[in-house]
Amino acid sequence: MSAVLAAVLEDERPWRQFICRACGYVYDEKEGDPDGGLAPGTRYEDIPDDWACPLCGVSKQDFDPYAGPSSGPVSARAVSQVPSVSRARKGVVIVGGGHAGWSVARALRAKDPDVPITLIAGDAADVYPKPALSLAFGHGKSANDLIASFGADVADDLSVRLVPHAFAIAIDAARRRIRTTRGAFDYDALVLAMGARPIEAKTMPADLCWRINALDTWTKLHAVLARGPARVAVIGAGLVGCELADDLAHAGHAVTVLDPGARPLAAWASAQESQRLLDGWNRLGVRFMPSSAIASVQRRSIGARAVTVLHCDDGTFVDADVVIAAIGLSIDARLARSAGLLVDSGIAVDATTLATSVPAIYAAGDCVSIDGRPCRFIEPIARQAQAIAAAILEQPFEATTFKAPLVRLKTRSAPMTLTGRP
Amino acid sequence: MAVIEEGLVDPRAVRDASLRTESRDAMLDRVRVIAQGPLAHDAERIDRQGHYPRDILAALGEAGALGAHLDGNGTDFVGAIRAMTEAGRVCGSTAFMMWCHQVCGLYMEQSGNPALTGARLDAHARGATMGGTGMSNPMKTFARIESMLLRARAVPGGYRVSGTLPWVSHIAKNHCLGAVAAVVDATGKVVDDQHEVMFILDCDAAGVELKHCPTFSAMEGTSTWSVRLTDVLIDADHVVADPVRPFIGRIRGAFVLLQTGMGLGVAQGSIDSMWQVEEQLGHVNAFLDDRPFALQAELDDLTARIETLAATPFASGNDYLIDVLDVRAHASELALRAAQSALLHHGARGYLMSAAPQRRVRESHFVAIVTPAIKHLRKEMARLMTPQTPAFDLPAFDLPG
Repeated sequence: MSAVLAAVLEDERPWRQFICRACGYVYDEKEGDPDGGLAPGTRYEDIPDDWACPLCGVSKQDFDPYAGPSSGPVSARAVSQVPSVSRARKGVVIVGGGHAGWSVARALRAKDPDVPITLIAGDAADVYPKPALSLAFGHGKSANDLIASFGADVADDLSVRLVPHAFAIAIDAARRRIRTTRGAFDYDALVLAMGARPIEAKTMPADLCWRINALDTWTKLHAVLARGPARVAVIGAGLVGCELADDLAHAGHAVTVLDPGARPLAAWASAQESQRLLDGWNRLGVRFMPSSAIASVQRRSIGARAVTVLHCDDGTFVDADVVIAAIGLSIDARLARSAGLLVDSGIAVDATTLATSVPAIYAAGDCVSIDGRPCRFIEPIARQAQAIAAAILEQPFEATTFKAPLVRLKTRSAPMTLTGRP
Repeated sequence: MAVIEEGLVDPRAVRDASLRTESRDAMLDRVRVIAQGPLAHDAERIDRQGHYPRDILAALGEAGALGAHLDGNGTDFVGAIRAMTEAGRVCGSTAFMMWCHQVCGLYMEQSGNPALTGARLDAHARGATMGGTGMSNPMKTFARIESMLLRARAVPGGYRVSGTLPWVSHIAKNHCLGAVAAVVDATGKVVDDQHEVMFILDCDAAGVELKHCPTFSAMEGTSTWSVRLTDVLIDADHVVADPVRPFIGRIRGAFVLLQTGMGLGVAQGSIDSMWQVEEQLGHVNAFLDDRPFALQAELDDLTARIETLAATPFASGNDYLIDVLDVRAHASELALRAAQSALLHHGARGYLMSAAPQRRVRESHFVAIVTPAIKHLRKEMARLMTPQTPAFDLPAFDLPG
């Protein structure tokens, strides 16, 4: 056999690849290394000993036969199923620094001194009694008077990692991670306690109408009303509207209440009770305008003064310095939907465990709904917190049946007690 | 198809959707050929030598990747983002320039200005002409992070614009870019701080100078220049919007959403590179935090979320915008983590200056800092989440009687 024929026969062997053990460079016999003096087709065994890896400079002895990654991700996936490095306990993440959020933190800490707790709040998470927001003007209180303790101090006491002024943006339920405006947090269990927020209506723009549901907005309104007696228009004669109207009248402001219904508290109180409230308002100088559906709210300048004008459907209008819209609460469903949670009038939860429709996610307080109805009362929150803490820590918990709480209407003109719905 | 027979679904809509999917798939096939071929070949040169891949961008334009999102082509934002992702897997700089080009087309089309649509837009969408975007400064101005760098003085026939934009990418002497200037009076004072004008600036117009800018750690092949304007005449044929704010409000979601393709591409390229060493290094890489299968699952979920939002790119409302800002932030965060992890998966071979993993680390940093940066996105989401109230710093009431 001639040498030429032998070379041709040899060339019929498939081209092979060799990988540099030092840097991962792959030498392909077919390609060679022209820059390094190896013509295409140079067999591994024909590479001179003084040849160096073009990337890292090691010699050919440091190369191993290489099969290539052709088998791809599928077989590699099997290689990769080595149990992952163990992770630290991520603990519980609570969204919301109000009464419900802190109640869950307290209940968890009481049952387990070690479980890591992170509390994410859109404000400073200062602790204050929310019902007091309906009485504070009349009693001449400031925001500082209302704060019982600062969020940072409570967090220290409870060994809670507090993330203040952070908004929860999205939940990645598959990876048990919540994304916020201050970064992402991993959780073993997540508790949503972000409350409800006042309903926004297009006819009542947010830059003209106050919506009072938390201390920070109350504080801003307080700064405005501290300048002197004002004409205040309150839209909505439900619990919050009636309480605020009563309180502001006691503080010396000229208050008008507008409601599309025939009487205040129509959904809550009997006709006699509503009349008792109206009588009290009459003595106090609160004007009630029934059958008044708002068509628009606009700012108008009268001479040098800026006045806010409320136009009703029937053509009547009211001038005001301050407008408060209290037409009800709803939840911000965007966050819950990002996790695929079942949402109706609130985040749907199991009445006993407060578990949502997605594993490891619970909800408490004003943001929940039980059997399709919201549950926005203070009284059940302590029990909800106990139930959630027990469920997360897998401890026994004796469920009690829910009773409709009593609601104390804090209208000083005509105090009354009503039966709350779950 | 029972739903069609019962009249529940418009059959034309079904046909249009399937035609669109077909043309999208064909477009993406063409993009993959370019990305895996000439772009893969040039990626290192683009990064290391600052080579501007004009020919490749033109080819991507011919392939339909630069105009898919335009209304004239069926508003296929999903297709536009996927095309950017395919390029970004191979070269982050090219993905970024595709975004620059796409939003420039978006400005032109959405302007409704006959001089900026029609033949001029067609040429732009096909990649026959090139155009970038100088919107970083105005976007940060609207978010109250910076103040406006360009000033426009009203003159007969339009505006005279002066000022300097420090770095604008994907431009050259015969390219154009979208920009915004604050409107000032004859003395140079801002009269109405809400009044700006947006326009397409031709880089070869009188009074425009392109100057070299300092070297960045990556993205050197993006043809990035400092643009100095001296009394440049902007006539009605070049005006995109006047006033600007309602226009920006309308296109903002689309502007940010398109950018996610960059982050998805860099993340996917990083994951691809992890698999390349899995056979050989999987036994040690198993000890690392962010493994390719976990990153891929997260990337797939994020992509699905982005494509849902991309179905309605001009949706209004805070909820939509917050979701768009969040997926943009998530794409940045994932690109950072994936690029970092890919380098750790490769070890020293990925740390070589010629290796793609270290290049992607630098590209991922760019994804995270280019406007809107992660910090800007979070600040803006916080602003949108904060309850709005009436002004509370007004003078005392002046009550009658």
